[in-house]
Amino acid sequence: MAEEQKETRPKKRMTATQAAASIGPMVKEFITGSLRARAEGKQKLAYTFIVCHHEEIFRAMDVVPLWTENFAGICGAKRDAERFLQRAESLGLSRSLCTYALCGIGFDQWREELGQMPPDSPWGGQARPDFMISTGQILCDPRSKWYQASQQFMPDVPIYNLDLPYPLFQRDRDHREVWGYYHQYIVKQLRGLVKFLEGQTGKKMDYDRLKELVDLSDRTWNLIEETYSLRKAVPCPMGTGDAMNTMVPINFMMATQKAYDFFVGLKKELEEKIAKGEGEVEKEKYRLMWGGGLPSWFALTDFNYFNSKGASFPVETTYRMVAPLDEMNIPESKDPIEHLAWRWLGYWTFWYDRAKKRPESEPDVERLINWIEEYKIDGIVMHEAFSCRTWHVGLIWQLHQLAKIYKPIPVFVIGREGKKEKVDREIPSLILESDIIDITSYSEEDTRNKIDAFIETLESNRLSRAA
Amino acid sequence: MVFVLGIDIGSASSKGMALGDRGPLGSFVCPSGGDFKLTADKVKDELLSQAGMSADDISRTIATGYGSKLVVFANEVKPDIVCQAKGVASLFPSARTVIDVGDLYTKVLRIDDTGKVHQFLSSGKCAGGSGRILQVIAKVLQLNVEEIGELSLKSKKRVEFSTGCAVFAESEAISRLSQEVAKEDLLAGIHRALAAQINSLAERIGVEQDVAIVGGGARDIGLVQAFKEARGQDILLPPHPHMTAALGAALLAMETVRQ
Amino acid sequence: MNGVKENIFARVEAFYRDYGARARRLNKEGRKIMGYICSFVPLEVMTAAGCIPFRVRGDIHEPITTGDTLLETIVCPYYRSCFDLSVKQRYEFLSGLVIPHGCDSMVRSYSVWSYSLPYPYFHFVNIPSVCDDSSFDFFHEEINTFRKSLGKFTGKEITDEDLAEAIRLHNENRDKVRRLYEFRKADPPLISGKELTMVLTVGSSLPADEFNSLLDGVVAEVGRRREPPVRKGPRLFIDGACLDNIELIKLVEELGGNVVADVICNGARDYFPQTDVGGDPVQALARRYLDKINCPKTYRENKAGTFEGDTASRFGDIGAYAKEFRVDGAILYVYKYCDPFGFEVPARKAYYQSIGVPLLYLEDIYSAGTVSQLRTRIQAFLEMIG
Repeated sequence: MAEEQKETRPKKRMTATQAAASIGPMVKEFITGSLRARAEGKQKLAYTFIVCHHEEIFRAMDVVPLWTENFAGICGAKRDAERFLQRAESLGLSRSLCTYALCGIGFDQWREELGQMPPDSPWGGQARPDFMISTGQILCDPRSKWYQASQQFMPDVPIYNLDLPYPLFQRDRDHREVWGYYHQYIVKQLRGLVKFLEGQTGKKMDYDRLKELVDLSDRTWNLIEETYSLRKAVPCPMGTGDAMNTMVPINFMMATQKAYDFFVGLKKELEEKIAKGEGEVEKEKYRLMWGGGLPSWFALTDFNYFNSKGASFPVETTYRMVAPLDEMNIPESKDPIEHLAWRWLGYWTFWYDRAKKRPESEPDVERLINWIEEYKIDGIVMHEAFSCRTWHVGLIWQLHQLAKIYKPIPVFVIGREGKKEKVDREIPSLILESDIIDITSYSEEDTRNKIDAFIETLESNRLSRAA
Repeated sequence: MVFVLGIDIGSASSKGMALGDRGPLGSFVCPSGGDFKLTADKVKDELLSQAGMSADDISRTIATGYGSKLVVFANEVKPDIVCQAKGVASLFPSARTVIDVGDLYTKVLRIDDTGKVHQFLSSGKCAGGSGRILQVIAKVLQLNVEEIGELSLKSKKRVEFSTGCAVFAESEAISRLSQEVAKEDLLAGIHRALAAQINSLAERIGVEQDVAIVGGGARDIGLVQAFKEARGQDILLPPHPHMTAALGAALLAMETVRQ
Repeated sequence: MNGVKENIFARVEAFYRDYGARARRLNKEGRKIMGYICSFVPLEVMTAAGCIPFRVRGDIHEPITTGDTLLETIVCPYYRSCFDLSVKQRYEFLSGLVIPHGCDSMVRSYSVWSYSLPYPYFHFVNIPSVCDDSSFDFFHEEINTFRKSLGKFTGKEITDEDLAEAIRLHNENRDKVRRLYEFRKADPPLISGKELTMVLTVGSSLPADEFNSLLDGVVAEVGRRREPPVRKGPRLFIDGACLDNIELIKLVEELGGNVVADVICNGARDYFPQTDVGGDPVQALARRYLDKINCPKTYRENKAGTFEGDTASRFGDIGAYAKEFRVDGAILYVYKYCDPFGFEVPARKAYYQSIGVPLLYLEDIYSAGTVSQLRTRIQAFLEMIG
């Protein structure tokens, strides 16, 4: 059966930091640990998504999160997603939809049909949950529909769907005029989540514990920001390839001491590397930003390919789901839930004020410009994953607008009259295309060709750059 | 005596250019087929024969294109955009935007006065805009792909073709034929649709004058005409537009040898 | 009066082919035409502001070109067409554009729209994804934000009385559309699906009062009919998102089907729910647009605890219409890349099976080029249920 076939095992990616290399076992533990917890039956297990701003609540209630996007990513990285995608298709789901969700729904249907894990499930498979917590946030439709679709095969598993909106950027409006009622709504939704979990676990929320955990995650946010800022160093000590590993504690282990300690360790490692002048790449020639798009989880070795050409990746927008709290200007609040709601709004509106100050700018573009300058970026790489509208619609426009309003590279060219003249050029950019886990969309040959071509453009810019 | 080869192994066709001290000594194009290694050898042998040279006489070979890594005898592999830029700049020093209409992808290159690429963009998988659709339509109409350009210029009636994707285009063409749309009108419609997509790609990256069009697709005069109309301006077209990358590869080989 | 009798459908067709002709003329006369996309934008707010709500449409015969310069091709194909036409200045007479949180394609491209088009007014209405009590409170505030913003743009505050009057007008509209749907109950129907969809499409480009008059004319004309405009055939239900053109329905009817009912945006989904009158108008609007409009984008909690109970609750309106219009089969028409509908396909399929209505599921892109593929499949389906 086609479902049982797996693609060839991928090569292991080299990491620049030891911290990033230590992630693999952590991720495996999510899966094996949750299978253990399921077997023991003492804790409640919940399907859930990252960036729901609810980790503190989960940890305070001792609920074990089953990160369904992560499991799909693992299937993708192991190049074993195809059989689950095909199963989803056979149910009537279109391949043009979010492939994480297709993988997850396909897996769930199979597990429920068999009454046990599908054969050779990655790392033992995804445990059956007690309930499912999704978000209908402004960001992502599939996350509002995914568990609902899976519930067809698990009708006894209830869902709590959180709504976590934020005010969209509108140039002529100060978001603070409206964020009061946004805040009220978010608070009510989070309190609703608490009530749901209390009902499901039979326990009452310990608000002192919650406050401790919120304080811990606040400190972790600031620490992550400080740690990643070290990558501004030349040469850059850690790249996006590693960050696709270190995103694990940020997104899956927030509000745990382990996550905080991880970044203490990573920060120290980066400081040591900087002191020795050790970079991600031995001879750093080009510094690139991963400007948008989820990575192809089965093709992370492409980052090593970039490295082999002298390109490092000091900064990425993807999975950097934290911002420095002291720069947020949010109202103070003693109540942990109210504080969480303010932090959510503070994160999503972080670049609004700055964007308003620059003509024709916009928050995502503003972030690109600021980071190009802070991290000394020579070029931008974007990845368009065909199944994900959430993170990938708008990237073309961002590059277009960036090129329009920001031309930081002065070069000398021979003008029309044959005279030497100075021209300001935009930052070169590269758009890669495939998908997050559907490997049939990916061509290594084609990707490498594009990377080679991009390196040539970076080199030509480097050589023509006016002093 | 310097003697260099530039070999461009594309997904549909393979091209070779041989240059000596005094200029071109041979040029060749053939279908790539399934075995790129074999095709590369064939191109090399043909060029050597035209130039009256032997393999020992080759100072340097640069390979480029989709199958470039399988040109085992090449001294170096260079990305096709670099070779295209070099080739076009040598023919048209005023060119600053190059449209390369390939079989699988169309690329738009922004080049500077020294023939170096400073920005490029490739068409996406499903956005259409590449030459493949012309092969598909030629097959549907039971024509040679070399004929369709000229035939399309004979169109008298404007027919709109709505789909960009080559897969859907095939069925749309079939259904149009069953409605008794004339072949030349259908072809003109397709060329217009393709030209519009290519123009859209160019607009995405920004167009700086002068604009040149190359690649296998540029051999189709119907497409070149449609593109001129879409842009509302004249476009630089080399006499052998499919050869420019091979030419560029050979020129780069020459440069390296002379250093 | 004789001349008017024949002219009403000719007039409808003229407005359909030159979509926006009336709006363009009204704009020249000084009226503000407010563009919008999707059924979630509160029309009453725009009418109450003295603007004319104008639904931006796509064009399946127009290849998407300019739009691709700025917007990814993985966006909903219908939405891409709307954007393509807008940047091609098909809708140059618009004073502004209002976009709701309908789906990711809309949200993620809001900046692209607002920076690419020269209109003086852009507004995003954040529709909640769930419908808890707190969602209605939030939506109430959000509608007021829209109301304030639009009032500022027009230079005149929108009062509760303005809103109440607009609600009355639009409810009248909905009543008249319902009346038109009654003609579909005849076997064969006295109004064809093609005619009805054309009327509704045209209506979304007219001021509410003019649409009401048009509907009066159409209802009168159809009421006078002695002969049905279509031959008797299998009675079909169309389920899907926005069908802003007649092509699919025309194809079905050419192949011998009678399109008699629907839940599409430009059909029953939009027109059947009424806004409650009396009481706080903004609260009534919040309730209508968030709760009464039944769209996959709005998450509804599974209160039944079973799959069957859940689908019966989510899709109950379909079952009711299927009975009311005595439907023989249904077509589920979903655009490629559409997440809200796409993820519901298995559940919808199961629901149609549970009510004993044969279902044809079609996934399509927004283009006239796919007609031949649709034809084959619809033909086979009609033969099966015929």
